[in-house]
Parts: sequence; C-alpha cells; structure tokens
Amino acid sequence: MRLVIARCSVDYDGRLTAHLPLAVRLIMVKADGCVAIHADGGAYKPLNWMNAPNTLVADEDQWVVRNPKGETLTISIEEVLADVDHELGEDPGLRKDGVEAHLQELLAANPAHLREGLRLVRREYPTDIGPVDLLCRDAEGRAVAVEIKRRGEMDGVEQLARYLERLERDPSLRPVTGLFVAQQIKPQARVLAEARGIAWREVDYDELRGIAPTELRLF
Amino acid sequence: MKFQCERDRLAEALTIAGRAVSARASLPVLSGVHLELRHGTLRVTGSDLDLTISSVVDVDGDDDGIGVVNAKLLTDIVRVLDEGAVRMEVDDEEARISAGRSEFAVRTVAAAEFPNLPEPATEGVEVEAAMFAAAVRQVLPAASQDVDRPILRGVQMETEDAGVRLVATDSYRLSVRDLPGTTFLAEGQQVLVPRIALSEVARLLDDQQSLTLRLGERDATFEVGSTQIVTRLIEGAFPNYRSLIPSSHPNKLTVGRDVLLDAVRRVKVVARDTATPVRLKMSADGLELSVTTQDYGNALEQVDAKYEGSELTVAFNPEYLTAGVEAATGDEVTIETIDNLKPSLVSSPESPEYRYVLMPVRFP
Repeated sequence: MRLVIARCSVDYDGRLTAHLPLAVRLIMVKADGCVAIHADGGAYKPLNWMNAPNTLVADEDQWVVRNPKGETLTISIEEVLADVDHELGEDPGLRKDGVEAHLQELLAANPAHLREGLRLVRREYPTDIGPVDLLCRDAEGRAVAVEIKRRGEMDGVEQLARYLERLERDPSLRPVTGLFVAQQIKPQARVLAEARGIAWREVDYDELRGIAPTELRLF
Repeated sequence: MKFQCERDRLAEALTIAGRAVSARASLPVLSGVHLELRHGTLRVTGSDLDLTISSVVDVDGDDDGIGVVNAKLLTDIVRVLDEGAVRMEVDDEEARISAGRSEFAVRTVAAAEFPNLPEPATEGVEVEAAMFAAAVRQVLPAASQDVDRPILRGVQMETEDAGVRLVATDSYRLSVRDLPGTTFLAEGQQVLVPRIALSEVARLLDDQQSLTLRLGERDATFEVGSTQIVTRLIEGAFPNYRSLIPSSHPNKLTVGRDVLLDAVRRVKVVARDTATPVRLKMSADGLELSVTTQDYGNALEQVDAKYEGSELTVAFNPEYLTAGVEAATGDEVTIETIDNLKPSLVSSPESPEYRYVLMPVRFP
C-alpha cells in the first residue's frame, strides 16, 4: 500500500470528464493496482478512483492511470507532502459481528436444532462468489445451504439465493435447498424467501446458548 | 354526486370509516374513502381489505352517484370548515367541498378501482351492547400485537356451557371472559375475530343498546347504529388454552384492586423499561411490592392484603399485571399462585366470569 499526501489536481476522462481542482489530497495506490483519491472527510468513498486492472505511469509531476477501457485518471502533482509505502500482508477478511459468528458456531455444533436430521458437511462452504455459512445434508442426504444472520432482511435472502445458484452447478451437490436463519426475520424477507423457494427459521440466541429466557411463556 | 350535510355529521362518518383506511394502503385506491349517495343517504366506506367500516349519514342529496376521495385529506378539510352546512360535489375528476366562504377542490380516485367488498351474511343476531363491550375490553389487552403471530392477534369467540366465551392470549398472558346465558353463536361454533376489528366495535358501543352480529364463513359483520364493521375472520387454530389454566393454586392473595394498581404504578416508576419486573412478596403479613434496578435504585411498598398459603415471592411484568388487574371488576382481586415459575391466576371474587392467567418473570 502506497500512501501519498500531495497538493494535486485530478482529471478523469472516460464515460464522462471530471476535474478535481488543486488541493491537498490523499492518494492511495493499493497492491492490486487500485488507485483512489481521498479528501479529508467522509468514511470510505474516494473523490475519484480507478479500479484494477490498470496501469500507472508515475512521473515526478504527473501520474497517469489507465484502464483497459481507455479511461484515464491524470493526477497533476504540485507538491508531495508525504509518501509512504508499506506491505500490509494477507487480508484475513471481514469478521462478522460477535452474535452472528457465535450463532454460526452454535448452529454448526447443533444443526439438528434447525431441522431434525440435519447434519453438518462444512462451515463456510466455499462458492466462487463467497462462502455460504453452513452446508448441511438433511435426513434424506440432500444438500441444504444455510445462511445465518442476526437480523434477517431481504439482502440476506438474495445473498443465499446467489449462493444456491452457484451450488446448484455442482453435480455432487444438486439439488440444493436453502435455509435462511436469523434471530428475527422481517416479514418482507420471509415473503421473498418463500417466493425464492427458500425455507426460513428464527432461532433464539439465548436458547442456543442454554440460557433460560427471563420472560416465561404459557406456550 | 351532489349533496349537502351538517359538518359534524359528515366529519363523524368520515372519521369512523377512515379508521379502516391504512396509512400504508396495499392499493392506492384504498387510501381513499368510498362515497355512495343514493336517495338522500350517503354511505362512507373505508377499507384495508381485512377490515371495512361503513358509516351512513342522511343528507340533502341532489344527484346520486359514487366517488373516492383521499380519506385523510377529505377528513382534514371537513374538520376545519366552519360549523354548519357543508356542500359537496363529486365527479370523475375532482371533489368540491364548500362551507361558508371556504371552497376546496381535490382530485378524486377512480371509483371503479375500489374493490368489491363482501356482502354481509344475511342471518343476524342481536347482542346486548354494554355486556359485549365490557367483555371485549376485558380480553383485548391480552391479544397479541405481534404481526408475526397472526393467530394470536385475534379474540377467540366460542360457545361454552350454554353461553359464549371470549379468549385472547399473547402467550405471556391469557384472558378469558365468559358470557353465561348469551347465545349469539351456534352450538359448538368457534370464530377468531381480529383484535383491531373488536377494538373498533367496542369504541362504537358506548351509547348503544345493542348491536347486530352477522357471521359468515370467512367474515363477521357488526352493525352498530348507522355503522357497519366487516372483518375477515382469522383462519387457523387458536392454541389449546384450556390446558394452560391450572386447575388449582395452593396460594391465594386477596387485595384491594385500586390499592394494588396504585402501588404497582408507584413502584414501577424506578423500572425505566418494560423488562424490569415488579416483585410481589406474599406472606401472612400481607403484600410487599418492590422494583429493583441496578442503574436507578429501588422502590418498595407495603400493601394490606389477605394471604393464604406458603410465603412466596413472584415477579411479573408490571404492564401485564396492571392490565389484568385493571380488567377485573369489583373492589378486590385475587392472585392465585403455585410457585414463582408457574402460571398465576388473577380474578375477582365479585365477577368470576373473568380470569387472567399470567406467567411470572424469572428474577435473580
């Protein structure tokens, strides 16, 4: 990762043209070739950027980033205030929040809690678009992909639908059914899941942890 | 359609019918009220397809016809007009409302898009209004408001020992109200009526002698004065609640109803959230109520009460306890318990037709 703080102006030329006037900015050049220009504000979105793959030709006063589509990002540098280069190493990826990760762990240890006869094949079963939380087999030996969320919303259902589409391509797995699991599942997410042919199940985190709920129920 | 009507009568009809209009209507036309003028009678109807409310007003009508106007907008307009006569003219394009020197013209919605609503069943039975309203108000607090549990969002009406029984539960508590000698259901009949519909019916019953109930296969119609409420019945099996009512309780506390309500109201002030329980320590010395919160402090109150049984401390959700005791009529209530984890029974010695089963809350 190379971080350059420089007084610069930036011109983008591609589907449209855009100009960032002269100012002090942070230029990030990532190991994979992505280039991003940040202002001193905003959490994540650069003012301008060019995704990899691209080529960077860096002269002293001008950098030109060009991608295969012919789009260019021209950074005209007036003054370099800082220039550091650091090896970040392998990225361990985004860790899920504690409850979600723990739910996955608890359900991996006891998949039958979700459905009688369900047994675990593998946690974080890989697909070419990312890992599905649990891959299980049901009592009849059919593959069941389980996606676990803390709050069940429509994007979670869509995510599982995408995994199912990828898993279905594997002849050793198909047919694969989906099971969407969360502590609470929003009504719209339930409707969407049912429309996609995906089963859903709400789970009680405390119950899974063996903690008796404070509020007792009649049934 | 063209008519003239007293502002207050029109505003009342619009308000009543508008209660069935959802702010998030599933069809745009359902955000409107349907107006139908025929021979000097204006019928104002609002619906969300599950609940339909129609109110009828006698008006001075010129041209019969129908129209649909945004419910909230029309009600707001009529309410702000000067007292007295309101003139209204509705065509396919707009509704013109005027009174005194005020004039409004608002767009209408195509009346043909308003859904055909179910015709009420022809067979009707008359029910005494005050008795029905009181019973509904007693059981409604226990009906669930959880959209994910549709069965529990209803009140079960069923026959019981030559009478009718109303039952509601949200799984934490259960209200049962018997109406002995009442026969508005056929022998063995059970219907599950949405809580919201019964709440609207009860609201209209204050000045009424009776209501007419018409039960169809999938819907129930309540006719109260000039208002008709049609609700879809909830399909599905109500929980088998009978097994949830303990047959006997070894401990019995008898306490003044208002004294207990006042004491709960006071001690729960330190319970800054609904999850903090109120503890009832019951002994031969009487009743001690307490609430303890780590963040804020504690409250304690002694209450005179008669207690038979072994000394016991049991905790309840204060809102649920209050709702059950408030619904009991009479000067005294009894709270019967088995232990601090099993269902308790709240009732009144003066009106045994009402029973409220309440689950305790676990406490450290």
